[in-house]
Amino acid sequence: MTAIDVSPAALAQQGDLRRKRFLKMGLIWALVLVFIGWCVQGTIIEDTDWSRIGGRNGILASVGRYFSLDLGLLPELVIPTLETFMMACVGTVLGCFFSLPVAWLGAANVTPSKAILYPVGRFLMVLSRSVHEIVWALIFVSAVGLGALPGILAIAMRSVGFISKITAEAIENIDAKPVEAIRAVGGNQFQVMYYGILPQIYPVVLATVIFEWDINIRRSAVMGLVGAGGLGLLFFRQMNSFNYSGVSMVIVAILLLILLGEVISHYLRKAVI
Amino acid sequence: MAVLTVKDLKVRYSAKGPEILKGIDFEVQDDDFLAIIGPSGAGKSTLIRCVNRLVEPTAGSIRLLGEDVCSLNAKALRNLRRNVGMIFQEFNLINRMSVMDNVLSGRLGYTGNIRSFFRAFPQDDVKQALYYLDRVGLSDHINKRADELSGGQRQRVGIARALMQRPKLLLLDEPTSALDPKISREVMALIRDIARELKVPALCNIHDVQLAKEFCNRIIGLQDGYKKFDGATETMRDADLDVIYEMEVL
Repeated sequence: MTAIDVSPAALAQQGDLRRKRFLKMGLIWALVLVFIGWCVQGTIIEDTDWSRIGGRNGILASVGRYFSLDLGLLPELVIPTLETFMMACVGTVLGCFFSLPVAWLGAANVTPSKAILYPVGRFLMVLSRSVHEIVWALIFVSAVGLGALPGILAIAMRSVGFISKITAEAIENIDAKPVEAIRAVGGNQFQVMYYGILPQIYPVVLATVIFEWDINIRRSAVMGLVGAGGLGLLFFRQMNSFNYSGVSMVIVAILLLILLGEVISHYLRKAVI
Repeated sequence: MAVLTVKDLKVRYSAKGPEILKGIDFEVQDDDFLAIIGPSGAGKSTLIRCVNRLVEPTAGSIRLLGEDVCSLNAKALRNLRRNVGMIFQEFNLINRMSVMDNVLSGRLGYTGNIRSFFRAFPQDDVKQALYYLDRVGLSDHINKRADELSGGQRQRVGIARALMQRPKLLLLDEPTSALDPKISREVMALIRDIARELKVPALCNIHDVQLAKEFCNRIIGLQDGYKKFDGATETMRDADLDVIYEMEVL
C-alpha cells in the first residue's frame, strides 16, 4: 500500500471536529432519553393502577371481549349511521358558509381592513382549529340541547379553521390581472370576486372541502359521546351496558362509513381536479 | 372634440415613494389613435390606468367624456368605466372560463348581481358577443376555455370583451408586447380597423416605435414621468426619439 500524503494539520482538525460532533450528538441523545424517561415515569409508572390490571390473562380476557359482533344490534345501527353521515354533510356545508366571511377577512389582499378585521379573521381561523370538536360539541350541547344539531354546529365550527385558512391563502395567491379586467369593465365588488377571484380559487377550495368532509365523517362518529347524536351515542350506550360485542359492532359500522367516505371523496376529488 | 383632457397629472404610489408621473398634460380627440411611447419605467402603464382610475392620481385633473374622473364616487366611477374599453398586455382573461363567458364579462357593468351569479346574460348580449367573436375571427373557438388559445387568439378575446362595452374610448396597455412581430401587426391592424369602423378614439401604450409610427396618427413620448414629445406621427424626428429614449429608467 502506498502511503498517502495528507496535511497533518488538516487531519488533526478533522479529528477535533469529529470528536466534538460525537460529544454533541451523545449529549442530545442523552437529553432525549432522560426527557422520555421522565415522561414515562410521570404518566405510565406513577399514574397506572397496577394492582387492578391483574395478570397477563386478565388483560387478554378484557381485550378478548371485543372480538365478537353483536349482529342483533344491526337494525338499531341503520338510523344512527345515516344520522352520522348527514351530520357530516350538513356540518361541512355550514362550515363552508361560515368560512366565506372568515376567509374574506383573513386574506391580506381583499380584507376590508388590514389593521382590524384581518387579525380578527386570522384569530377566528386559529380559534376554530385550536378547540377540539368534542369541546365544541360540549359547548353546543349545553347551548341547544342533545341531538344532531349541536353535533352539526360543532363540526361546522371545527371545519371553519382549515377551509377558511386554505381559501384565504388561495385568495392571496391569485393572479391580479383578471381582477383588474373586471374592475375595468365597471364590475362591482361582487362581480370582481365572482368573476375575478372565484374561478382561480375554486379547484383548491373544492378539494379542501371534500377533504374536510372526509374528516368530518370521523368527527361526527364521535359526537354522540357527549350527547350530540349519531353513532357515538350508540357506542356510548353499548359501553355503559357492558355490551362489548355491541361496541365492536358500532366500531365496524363507523369503519365502514369512513371507508365509504374515503371512496366517495376519492372519486369526487378526481372529478374536481 | 376632446374626449379626454388630462392636466398636470401627478402620481406617486406611496407618500414616500418616487413620483412616477410628474405633471402630464395631453388631450385625446374623438378621431385620435394616440400612441404613448417611452422606455420601460417611464410611467406609460400608470398613465393609462389613471384614465379609468385603476390607479389613483395624486394630483391634477382628468376630464373624460365630460366628467371629472377624480371626483367621482364608487358608483359613478363604475358607470364611467363601462364606457371605457381596456385591452391588456397579458390579456387579463379569466382562464377557467370559456371564450364566450370571457367576452360576455365585458357586459358586467350593465348586469345585475343575480344575473352575474348565474352567468345569465341577456339574449342581446349573447348575440352581440357572437357578432364580435366573428369580427375578431374566433368563431371556431367560442366554447373553448380561454387558456386553450394561443396568445394572438387570447388577445382577440380581450378585444371582443372590450368591444362588448360599446366603448367611447379604448385604452390599450401594450396590446402586442406579449405577441410575436407578425401577430402583433395583425392585432394592431384589427384594433385600428375596428376603432375606425366604430369611430372610437384610442389611447395606446406601446414600446415598439415602429408599430406606433405605422398605426397611430399622434404620438406622445414619455420619459421618467415627463412628457418629452407630443405631435402628429409624421412630425416626429429621430432627434425626438433620442430625447425620449435618452435615459433608460431602471
